[in-house]
Amino acid sequence: MADGILLERAGVPAVSICTGSFLLPAQAMARAYGFGGFEFATVPHPIASLDSQQIEARARDVLPEVLRILGLES
Amino acid sequence: MPSGETTTQNDTPLADPAEIRRAMEYYADRGWTDGLPVVPVTESYLAEFLATTSRDPDEVLMPMPQLNRQCTVRLAAINAALAGCRPDYFPVVLAAWESLTREGYATRGIWQSTTGTAPLLIVNGPVRGRIGLNSQGNVFGSGFRANATIGRAIRLGAINALGLRPHQLDQATQGTPAKYTACIAENEEESPWPALHAQFGLDPSDSAVTAMIIRSCLHIEARHTTVPEQLALDITGTISRTGALIHETISALVVLSPEHARLFSRAGWGKADLSEFIYQHAVRSRAELAAVGKDAVARQTRWRLPADHPDAVAQEPPDDPDAPVQLIVSADAIQIVVAGAPNAGVSSIVETFGPVDRAPMVVKVEEKK
Repeated sequence: MADGILLERAGVPAVSICTGSFLLPAQAMARAYGFGGFEFATVPHPIASLDSQQIEARARDVLPEVLRILGLES
Repeated sequence: MPSGETTTQNDTPLADPAEIRRAMEYYADRGWTDGLPVVPVTESYLAEFLATTSRDPDEVLMPMPQLNRQCTVRLAAINAALAGCRPDYFPVVLAAWESLTREGYATRGIWQSTTGTAPLLIVNGPVRGRIGLNSQGNVFGSGFRANATIGRAIRLGAINALGLRPHQLDQATQGTPAKYTACIAENEEESPWPALHAQFGLDPSDSAVTAMIIRSCLHIEARHTTVPEQLALDITGTISRTGALIHETISALVVLSPEHARLFSRAGWGKADLSEFIYQHAVRSRAELAAVGKDAVARQTRWRLPADHPDAVAQEPPDDPDAPVQLIVSADAIQIVVAGAPNAGVSSIVETFGPVDRAPMVVKVEEKK
């Protein structure tokens, strides 16, 4: 969660992806860095117990959101 | 007021109880508590804590750069006072912070983790008697101010100095009751063996704190055996339960009651013999691990998971599914202390976090002369 913020601060466009269950701690981390508006992309929880196809589906589904946060045309 | 005297108007307390309650509510409203009331702290009261140490109030005890926070001597003192410590407990609190920092998991972010660990503090040496730390009956329980408040001082420091609040940066899925407080003293007087701090190089007349990162505290009921191998296997079976297996291997602190320690000692066993026995016997077969979906390890984290998981390290099916898989990496992963009352064959296993293969972080208590 901190890595995306640190990359942005270093001038590297970055999007941190977490499951919805981690959004509150992610936002708390962003506030700890004085970056309360940092936007996270979220995917449904859980991740740890998914198979490869389900993981790929999660990645496909979140991609438009990642591009939107980066400010790119999808 | 001495007993037997009656209250007169002149005995009216100087502080207004309503004002004290208002101060306590203020602390609670600011989120500066663990849910229980705290002791209001003034500059003059803080000075009494800082006077017990020669350390600079601005010295950093625990850095937490990933959270933009740190715990200094001054912040540790404020939180010790909030927790209800007496000023003379503070050197023990300082040693506890130093041991936790050197232990390493806290600064690497384990207090933010879903696992939900807590620090356990083990205190050795003469400071136990001087400040009234309990090492005997109900050692994990309530009833002793020094145990209760020294452990709580660390929790309040984690909340207030490091910003580790639940539902925010503390992401514990369930946590553990030990997150309120967990501080025991070793019952050196009723142990047949060298105390923990003496075992790791300090003089028995020194005082010391050893901090460990724990999740669970499980108890062993073994009141009737007199055979050391039977008791050691009972302990080992509890340590090697499959539910404890986060990583490839596990570690534990065995807190023996004086009765169990003497059973081993009478048979000629030392602490090292028991650690070695547990190390040798803490095994599960590949088939047992497969039955609970923990027969493989993840590529990066080395967490245990099912062999067909996409992140599992590929492995050949075993020739013998009943062949033992070692669950402990070295005898150093099993530490032993003696605590509790000498009244029953009841002991505890404290599940320590991570695959430990080194000596515990024993830190001397520096009491200002």
